[in-house]
Amino acid sequence: MSAVPALRLSHVCRQFGALRAVHDVTFDVMPGERRAVLGPNGAGKTTLFNTICGDFPPTGGSITLFGDDITTLKPHHRTRRGIGRTYQTSLLFNGLTVLDNLYLAVRGVRPNRFSFRAPKATDPDMIAARTMADRMRIAHMLATQVDQLSHGQRRQLEVGMALASGPKVLMLDEPAAGLSPGDRPELLKLLKDLPRDLTLVLIEHDMDVALPAADIVTVMKDGEVVVEATPDKIESDPVVQAIYLGGGH
Amino acid sequence: MTPARTTVISLIGLAVLVVAPLVLLAILPQNQAQFWTSNILGRGLVFGLIALSLTFLATYGGFISLAQMTVAGVAGYTVAVLTQGAVPTIVGGLPYALTIPAGLFASVLAGLLIGAISVKTRDIYLLMITLALAMGVFRFVETNIAWFNGYEGIRNVVGPDIFGLSFRSTYVFYYSVVASCAVLYFGILYLVRSPFGLVLQGIRDNPRRVSALGYNVGQHRIAAFGVAGFIAGCGGVLATIYNIGISPGSIGLGASVNILIISVIGGLGHPIGAFVGSIIFTVFDTFAATIYDRERFNTLIGLVFLIIVLVSPDGVVGLKGRLMALLKPKQAKEAKSP
Repeated sequence: MSAVPALRLSHVCRQFGALRAVHDVTFDVMPGERRAVLGPNGAGKTTLFNTICGDFPPTGGSITLFGDDITTLKPHHRTRRGIGRTYQTSLLFNGLTVLDNLYLAVRGVRPNRFSFRAPKATDPDMIAARTMADRMRIAHMLATQVDQLSHGQRRQLEVGMALASGPKVLMLDEPAAGLSPGDRPELLKLLKDLPRDLTLVLIEHDMDVALPAADIVTVMKDGEVVVEATPDKIESDPVVQAIYLGGGH
Repeated sequence: MTPARTTVISLIGLAVLVVAPLVLLAILPQNQAQFWTSNILGRGLVFGLIALSLTFLATYGGFISLAQMTVAGVAGYTVAVLTQGAVPTIVGGLPYALTIPAGLFASVLAGLLIGAISVKTRDIYLLMITLALAMGVFRFVETNIAWFNGYEGIRNVVGPDIFGLSFRSTYVFYYSVVASCAVLYFGILYLVRSPFGLVLQGIRDNPRRVSALGYNVGQHRIAAFGVAGFIAGCGGVLATIYNIGISPGSIGLGASVNILIISVIGGLGHPIGAFVGSIIFTVFDTFAATIYDRERFNTLIGLVFLIIVLVSPDGVVGLKGRLMALLKPKQAKEAKSP
């Protein structure tokens, strides 16, 4: 039986002038798979994310989501088709409250998202936003303006907003960045508790977060995929060791 | 400030505007009371409405447009061109019951068009493109005699009768303006709590994230300019009736910049700033020539603008916050000292 990949990247390239930020990247992510993308700074991981999500459309190759070609779609169309994402640096609406941020995240994929009618407290999307705040343990801060949140709370809200739209493919760009060591096990628990039918693609520098959460690991360097292996093999892979410890050691 | 507190303060402000003509009649001779009611408060509120359209765009969307006076002018010219009795007759023959909605429709279309043309621009580039559009429309109107009577403009737009009362009556005009301002102001406070308003504020804070949540940023931006077009159109229709006509000078560079000055004086942090700024501006615009020098009254207005911007970049509305911030450390220091 050959299942349709949740995400298929075929020879994806992204150039900025003469710079090849992503070059000839090809891999499939199957439905329900947890994939970590690792690599040193400048390897092209975040550019690859931005290419998949439509912020930087690919300059070559194609991307399909559950068999549908999304290569040329705008970011909001990709989100509506089931891609949810976080950013390396939290991109939140600082002038709005936590509840408003989550409500917008829930509402963005609804057919009636464009509306001039203010929601009531009993609006199903408002209730869904509160439920997500509860899940992310920020329910006590619903009325707080986002610019008043600590870094850790901002990361929690960031992940909550990505989950709030009910994505089929969740893409997390360094979710543990800036979190204290005490907060990391909680993040790992959250990742492990995600429903198994949710496909997860994760960029993470912290191996202690990335490897336990992943079924398969893709390592990138200079914009290209250099290794693809299971987490138990990745640490002992000589290419990975060369990348992280230096080629001459 | 919480929404409930904002509503209470706004209602108090509205009550003050409602009773102001009665207070003026009680303390001033009738002709002076009417002058203050119509020429200061009424005119101030009319231009406040046009400034409200800019404040709405700036406060909630982060868009500074210099074309809001042009959009108001589109509404005003549409009414003037179509209305029965306007001089010269260009199309004419239609009652105000049709020409005013037509004017508002035209202003919404103009707003949507400006929004669509400028949809990819922000900050100084948005300012420049809206200024270019405003000046293009101004020159077109000024040089087109067949449709707009060129430099002379169109006169005798006296306004409709409301329940048998003439719009030229000071108090019919004033309370019509107050009612329009109240409906549009509270309409904005409601609208910014809707999904459309929240998305607009999201675009102000982070357009990339808005798109990543599934919203079409361009569509919301254009719609915001359409909403602002309606607000400016209401101001444009009232301004045309107040002035008994419209000419290109009312949509020129000076008039366009005045709307920006009004908004900055009042403060771009909250829609109420548009009305506060416009009443301050109208007072100086009216009396500066008398109290300073007829030839140099713009200098006085400029000085007032400069002082307000230097003392409180958030405008008059932001003054309270700045004073509180200044007093707080002092109070904390006093509390610490034995």
